[in-house]
Amino acid sequence: MIMKQFRFEPLAQASYLIGCPRAKEAVIIDPIDDMGAESYVLEAADLGLTITGVFETHIHADYISCARELAEMNDVPHYLHESAADLVKYGFTSFTDGQVFEIGGVRITTIHTPGHTPEHTSFVITDSARSNEPWCVLTGDALFVGDVGRPDLLLGDQALDVMDEATRAETLYRSVKDKLFALPDHVEVYPCHYGGSTCGGVNMSGKAASTIAFEKRFNLAMRKETPAEFAAFVKETAKPFPDDYARIKSYNLGLISKDQITEAAV
Amino acid sequence: MKPGEVQDAVANGAVVLDMRPPKPFAKEHVPGAVNFQFNRADLAERAEMSLPHDLTYLIHAEPDPIAKVAMGILSKAGFHVEGYLEGGLKQWKAEGLPTEAMPLLTVDELKDALDRYRVVDTRESFEFRFGHIPGSTCLEWTEPWAAMEAIESDKPLALVCGDQVRSAYVASVMQRAKMDAALVFGGMVDWLERGYPVEKSPKKTKAPSP
Repeated sequence: MIMKQFRFEPLAQASYLIGCPRAKEAVIIDPIDDMGAESYVLEAADLGLTITGVFETHIHADYISCARELAEMNDVPHYLHESAADLVKYGFTSFTDGQVFEIGGVRITTIHTPGHTPEHTSFVITDSARSNEPWCVLTGDALFVGDVGRPDLLLGDQALDVMDEATRAETLYRSVKDKLFALPDHVEVYPCHYGGSTCGGVNMSGKAASTIAFEKRFNLAMRKETPAEFAAFVKETAKPFPDDYARIKSYNLGLISKDQITEAAV
Repeated sequence: MKPGEVQDAVANGAVVLDMRPPKPFAKEHVPGAVNFQFNRADLAERAEMSLPHDLTYLIHAEPDPIAKVAMGILSKAGFHVEGYLEGGLKQWKAEGLPTEAMPLLTVDELKDALDRYRVVDTRESFEFRFGHIPGSTCLEWTEPWAAMEAIESDKPLALVCGDQVRSAYVASVMQRAKMDAALVFGGMVDWLERGYPVEKSPKKTKAPSP
């Protein structure tokens, strides 16, 4: 298996390339516009890999996604969880909970982990060349290293927000506890954000990788015993809101054009 | 460049460098194209080691941003690159222009028909000495343009390397010269994984000086 983590430091954001060295194919997960669609194309080409798909864990609110552009540039599907169909205003290829994608000998299994957003999905990665047990999980904005995704990035539009903040916090707690923490202890955790990112609370680590076992023991938010305590803790340890998140999210949902993100800010 | 312009340039002797991985190249490519895989880290160095400076090149890479970067790298390295195929093979085919495929062999197919092929190993000589397919000839990947005459053969050629990157390059240069060459996909990695026999005695055909 080939795995590459791309870190965009100004936003403490991580995107990923997952590929198979035998099949010479790869997918890109959570690409960020600040790096540009072309940079992912060149990174894959440097490794002799053909991009066969673009995945997103969820519709992001804190950075501009280039998933649509990257998918179009490579003429490949842009994958999102099926529930995103109720939210976004553009075409995509939907997947369901538990769906399996094969990239040569590498397997991606989707786990629907709502809370941060309703369509949020984590991707469990298995390298069949090594073992049939999962090796790592891309946790998006559900589980961070030392923290969890914030459940309060609401646009104020009931149709798009779907759940209120408290329900989202409880949903997130259950997603992490019942689904991600059900993975084997050795499974490595790769989040979409780390350190100073405003998508999580103040306890996020600057280290952009962990394991399920380590987070089970030392993740302060997930040490809370009830969803209510968890929700209170997450609220208490939240950072300020990301800049322009409503406009960025609106763009990522296909509601406004890229120009309108900055126009509105002036 | 538009497909028509590329076709005209090729008719005037320009060489299309197809920088896609060997798999899509073998499936379908611009007739006469040479498969030379892209990689920012050492493209200039590999080109300097192997591509003739006296030819005019056109780039085919997909998607287009790779072609633009490749053009920059090769031009800077002193190669004459006239342009790149805009829109790749999709655009080429949309205009009804012909394509060509490269014959592929798996290591299993090669093993079962070993006597029907002349196996040419395009890895470097130290890799070849370390273990190669019995009866194969070493022709280092850097030498195909000058050394092709050295491998005149009454049997079709089967091109091998570690996987299929260097062998696809050499095979494509041979296909361009109308030689009967097949690409062994998976190369020595697959051959060794299957536990097929290898020979360790050196057996090298040196290219004649041009």
